Amino acid sequence: MSHISHRRRWNNLALEADYVVVGSGAGGATVANQLARGGADVVLVEAGAWRDPQDYPQSAFGGMRDLMDDFGTTITRGRALWPVVQARTVGGTTVVNSAIAVTTPDDIFELWSERFGIGGEVFRSEVLRFQSELDEELCVEVAPAHTRGRTNELAMAGSKALGIEGHYMRRYVKDCEGSGYCMSGCRAGHKKSLNLNFIPEVLERGGRLLSNAPVKRVVFEGNRATGVVGRFFHPTTKRKGGRFQVRARRAVVVAASATHSPCLLQRSNLRSPALGRYFRAHPGAGIFGVFEDPVDMNIGNTQGWASLEHRNKGGFKLETLSVPPEMAMTRLKGGGRKYVERLADYRHLTMWVHALRAESTGTVRNGLFDKPAVSYTLDSGDMHRFREGMATVAKLQFAAGAKAIIPGIYGLPYKLGPDEVHLIEDGPTDPRNYLAILSHLFGGCVMGTNPHTSVCDVHGKVHGHEGLYISDASMIPSVLGVNPQHTIMGLARWVGANLLES
Amino acid sequence: MKRLVRAALDDLIPSGGPMPGIIDAGWDDFVDQYKREASTQLWLGVVAGAVVYTVTPILTVRRPVLSYQLPPDLRDTHADRVTNHRFYLVRQAVFLLKLSAGFAWGADAGVRSKINLPPYESDPGTWRS
Repeated sequence: MSHISHRRRWNNLALEADYVVVGSGAGGATVANQLARGGADVVLVEAGAWRDPQDYPQSAFGGMRDLMDDFGTTITRGRALWPVVQARTVGGTTVVNSAIAVTTPDDIFELWSERFGIGGEVFRSEVLRFQSELDEELCVEVAPAHTRGRTNELAMAGSKALGIEGHYMRRYVKDCEGSGYCMSGCRAGHKKSLNLNFIPEVLERGGRLLSNAPVKRVVFEGNRATGVVGRFFHPTTKRKGGRFQVRARRAVVVAASATHSPCLLQRSNLRSPALGRYFRAHPGAGIFGVFEDPVDMNIGNTQGWASLEHRNKGGFKLETLSVPPEMAMTRLKGGGRKYVERLADYRHLTMWVHALRAESTGTVRNGLFDKPAVSYTLDSGDMHRFREGMATVAKLQFAAGAKAIIPGIYGLPYKLGPDEVHLIEDGPTDPRNYLAILSHLFGGCVMGTNPHTSVCDVHGKVHGHEGLYISDASMIPSVLGVNPQHTIMGLARWVGANLLES
Repeated sequence: MKRLVRAALDDLIPSGGPMPGIIDAGWDDFVDQYKREASTQLWLGVVAGAVVYTVTPILTVRRPVLSYQLPPDLRDTHADRVTNHRFYLVRQAVFLLKLSAGFAWGADAGVRSKINLPPYESDPGTWRS
């Protein structure tokens, strides 16, 4: 059987393969696919369920229940409690993100080479070549005009009026209908999430998939990783099922995410001073614009416009983001009768955000019940740039014609007019004053040349161990300042290609 | 605890305004599904949020009573001020309460019709086995 979704208690399972890949998101599915294409026997192990487009929920509650990691309850431990957003399903976060494809910028390769001693020209050109292949295979195209919706067009108009760079996004979507459901999974199947292509291909090539199968630990014989063990978990009853054990003849590839990969290796007693360290993120926060005419932000691409104008100077990216009413209402301040009146503005709102290229680092530790404990706080320098990002979003909203903005910043009035942006520019720098989320996560098992400051080398091979590799965002040693999926997949192909060669 | 949560949410998102209140939006049906399907940790957070909401009128309207003992006008003032309180943990606790209410409110067909959105189809809760 190529897909095993659950086993009852006492009905245990033992498998053997060339490679075991833990995690089926952008990193895991891509490396598994690469290995399967190379003729290897692969077992892919995923903690979440395999849901097809007809299984996708539509409501935000259904999305949290069926697709998100631990109901989205992972929050940072630090000065502010900010949610750490990632999926738990076959296909990982590619199922619930906005499918944004951004090629790894050249300055990132230079940074990795200069600061971490990673890479070189072969590495750079190979990763870029793989990303070019991915563009073709996953039908990357610019958001088509008829699907953009008013919010994305307004953002473009705003960027032109401000005189800053702005573009419609390139996305892994073919024949988009602009239904606005990217984040709860595209029921129309137009979004090329990896549960629809790379993973079925792994199975067609003889690979196997275990779903609802969280891995407890990696098994070692001496310093060689020889497999993984875990226990099935029923996605509805939440009861534990039978145990599984997968033996890897060649290697175990860990690709369980920037939070779960370090936790898994900690549970497996891997000794590395860098394990769980150098966790980084792009913290993001948004501002509502209030427009005279209805915008209906939920019609059109969930995210269709972006600006990289401030990526290097300022250190943040600007994006549109359509939020459903469930989420919009939590970001509107207040309670009682006045609050209900505010909710009636929904059709007139745009939500545009900035994602900060933060330099602050945090740690990830295996917490209670194997839940990641993420310690992360933005330092003062980052908070000043975070505030600048908020002010820039505000200016963009007014440049696009908003009559007011709703900053959602504690300590500021509920609504601000065009001549009050300075209140944001001079606003608080305490992270507790902002409602932000961490959606792009990096590090925890970073690559590098020094075993004291990195967990794996540039090929993903864990220092001091045989047969153990990393292939996900946890190996990325810096923030990118752009959406990370294309970089994660390019690196995964690089790791896969090198595994096949070795 | 369900009654405590309901009372707090009824204050925070009351009926009678331009949009349906949380009770009109089907909270009573939703809460059982929420308790059953959300994580225990999340439900405990909601209960904690309701408790914080209930005991904090002393911090917002200077009355040493529980929120449901306040007269209607002061209750409305408390509902507004508690979401914007200077103590971070107070406003975060109430934020979690509003987040959970949002799942019911934003998915309600009546609410969605008022904001020009089609009703949701059902969440099948199925997976490939």
